[in-house]
Amino acid sequence: MNTKHRVFASLASVALLASLLSACGKSSDSSSSSSSESSSGTSSSSSAASSESDSVKKPESIKLMVDGTFLLKENGQDIIEKGYEDLYGIDLIINQPAHNEYYEKVDLAFTTGDIPDVLILDNRRYTSYAYNGALYDITDLYEKSEIKNNITDQGLIDAIRLDGRLYGIPGSRGNGTITYVRGDWMKKLGLQAPKNYDEFINMLRKFKNENPSGLAPNEVIPITAAGLVNTEYPLDIYLREFYWTATPDFVKRDGKWVDGMTQDDMKQALQRMHDAYAEGLIDPEIITNKTSTCRDKFNAGKVGAFNYWAGTWNLNLYNNTVPNVPDVEVTPIPSIKETYYIERPAVAVCITSACKNPEGVFKYFLSTLADGKEGQQLWTVGVEGKTYQKEADGSLTFMPTIQDPTKPFTKTWFEPTLLITKWAPNMKYDERITNSLSMFQSNMKIYPLPPYSKALSDYGSELNSIKAQYIANIVFGDYSVEDGIAAYQKEAASYVESILSELNG
Amino acid sequence: MFAAKEKERPPKRSFAYIKNKIYRDRLYYLMFLPVAVMTILFYYLPMVGIRFAFYEYTPFKKEFVGLDNFKELFFGVMSKNFWRAFNNTLFLSIVNLILATIISVVLALLLNDLKSRKIRGGIQTILYLPHFMSWVVVSSIFLIILSPQGGFINNILGFFGTEPIYFMANKKWWVPVYLFICRWKDTGWGTIIYLAALTGLNPELYEAAEIDGAGKFKQALYVTLPGLMTTIITVFVLNLGKVLNIFESVFVLGNDQVKEVSDVISVMAYRIGMKGADYGMGTAIGLFKSVVGLVLVLITDEINKKIRGSSLL
Repeated sequence: MNTKHRVFASLASVALLASLLSACGKSSDSSSSSSSESSSGTSSSSSAASSESDSVKKPESIKLMVDGTFLLKENGQDIIEKGYEDLYGIDLIINQPAHNEYYEKVDLAFTTGDIPDVLILDNRRYTSYAYNGALYDITDLYEKSEIKNNITDQGLIDAIRLDGRLYGIPGSRGNGTITYVRGDWMKKLGLQAPKNYDEFINMLRKFKNENPSGLAPNEVIPITAAGLVNTEYPLDIYLREFYWTATPDFVKRDGKWVDGMTQDDMKQALQRMHDAYAEGLIDPEIITNKTSTCRDKFNAGKVGAFNYWAGTWNLNLYNNTVPNVPDVEVTPIPSIKETYYIERPAVAVCITSACKNPEGVFKYFLSTLADGKEGQQLWTVGVEGKTYQKEADGSLTFMPTIQDPTKPFTKTWFEPTLLITKWAPNMKYDERITNSLSMFQSNMKIYPLPPYSKALSDYGSELNSIKAQYIANIVFGDYSVEDGIAAYQKEAASYVESILSELNG
Repeated sequence: MFAAKEKERPPKRSFAYIKNKIYRDRLYYLMFLPVAVMTILFYYLPMVGIRFAFYEYTPFKKEFVGLDNFKELFFGVMSKNFWRAFNNTLFLSIVNLILATIISVVLALLLNDLKSRKIRGGIQTILYLPHFMSWVVVSSIFLIILSPQGGFINNILGFFGTEPIYFMANKKWWVPVYLFICRWKDTGWGTIIYLAALTGLNPELYEAAEIDGAGKFKQALYVTLPGLMTTIITVFVLNLGKVLNIFESVFVLGNDQVKEVSDVISVMAYRIGMKGADYGMGTAIGLFKSVVGLVLVLITDEINKKIRGSSLL
């Protein structure tokens, strides 16, 4: 090695090592700073709850895992974190993965042992996590708490009880989807809201063949949806006018669990969907649609009917369509007589079994979700002067968001229109929101939690994938209903048998 | 006495000899250290996770189950879906690989024959661009182009009186469309290595061929292709190792209607491992895929050794 080589090699190796070490140093720095934030946070004083003195020890910090329904970091999450600390003197450590990866990250957190104190869980995981002992049983705490009296409809709580036990409480209703139609088209065609299936199909035909906007039949999408079957429980939440009472899920009939896919009502539903698709009444691209593509098509003024979330989405659909179709009316319709809309059991906020101070977390966190006071105010409208402001008449209005000052906040965590307590913020809502919600609630049925079994947990995702495949194959005409169900039964037999033997065992 | 003073060299392969050599080249070894550390950290250490293939590994259970995951995959409830995904993976990957090799070589030969460097540069840039698009964007573009409702292709077909075809939801059309999209995206990128190899071919060989009366086609056949053969086989073998890794493209272009022909091993592993949180089973599927990839590489290398007399590994 000559001198030049030595010098070059020394410099290069020092530079490479330095870059490697600096990368490691950065990660250790960030982790240490987060822990120091946490310890400094615990020393801050409390206001609202500190005066209460009882045997429940106040936690110094609470680790919360939430999805994108909580205010995003880039949209002022710190305001809520600080607001919570000011109220209760507790450091709230929020872990908010990307919305579409939330449940993957929850599963990973439990697998790796990095378990939060509190997290939100959808129906399927709530059941699975509770049965596997991953959640703290809050039944006794809830029964003795004040929030029980604040919650107006105990049916919403009962809907998430498992064998009578409670493992979480909802911050808001589960909500569901309602069918929106082009009210302006209905008026121009002289149509009333359809009362039964025949009237509904007739309405779609008229949208297609006598389109009042002058669209040619091949340009109109009489009804659209993001797939023929939902990817999460409940599988039959969309296309209610076709499913009626059918569901591809496992369902209890005459006291026994059966595969909904092979029941007579499901066969009839498949026949209805097949016929409507063949006639061009269902969006030809339904199988490749995502919810965003459906919304885009609706906003472009091509769609006649679209089953989507009740409440705020009525206003959103209107606001996004009106620039393209100035006289648009986005009208929610009651469910047709053969069916009902579905309200999912609410998403539950749960304390994990790994939480070291569950009583403290229940009192200082879960109870605040339905306290009818400053806690609930924080989780719905946020902090005065930051996310909302008081008007002269005493009502509250949302302030512009940080991310996009042209748009106001709509919530900080739970939608003010979907609260489950007597208390609600003094806000004025667009009548589209309140109308669609009240129509939904008077036409819906709260679905029960999905069943749990080890086999269902192991094979559920694969079996749902097979179900979705055969539903598509039948609707697209690759099979007749009878042949398609027979082929499905042949392919899915081993899955279904092992699941049903456990559920009925 | 003089001989005793002379420094004795340790015999080669002895520990002292290696130690001396390492000490002499210590700065080179130091320079290599970060690379070694990175390789161990990011390539070898994660391999410890392979053990999960022999566990029931879920958020609630970590229990050694031996070969149960593999038995379930090969012969159990999931076996039918697994073997279908396996067959689809092999078919889509190998056809894609063969097409990629042929089209990239032909394109490289055509590009190499362009006289104007400016035109060649321009065409190369246009060809490379799709490679840098994410699969999500590519999927959106083709869903729009191939839409049965006013899509560009169906508009052309409509002009000739043909009924619209829902290409992405038709089992007969999905495979050719998928292969076409893959080639549209990556063929340009695939030509880079071949173009580099072409610049290394001896121009005298072409002059000699020309004197012997060989035209452009014969020159390509008898000079260029034999000259490129080592590169072609090397690239083919390297790609064969990754052949079963198709995920993103199928994930974004597939749908329920075409699952019979589009479901592949990686998507199944994602569905079971990540969506279903059965990490043990997901790892078992991944491990099986890696073993098959390794076997394919070894077989190809063996064939290459038999034909050309040299090994690439």
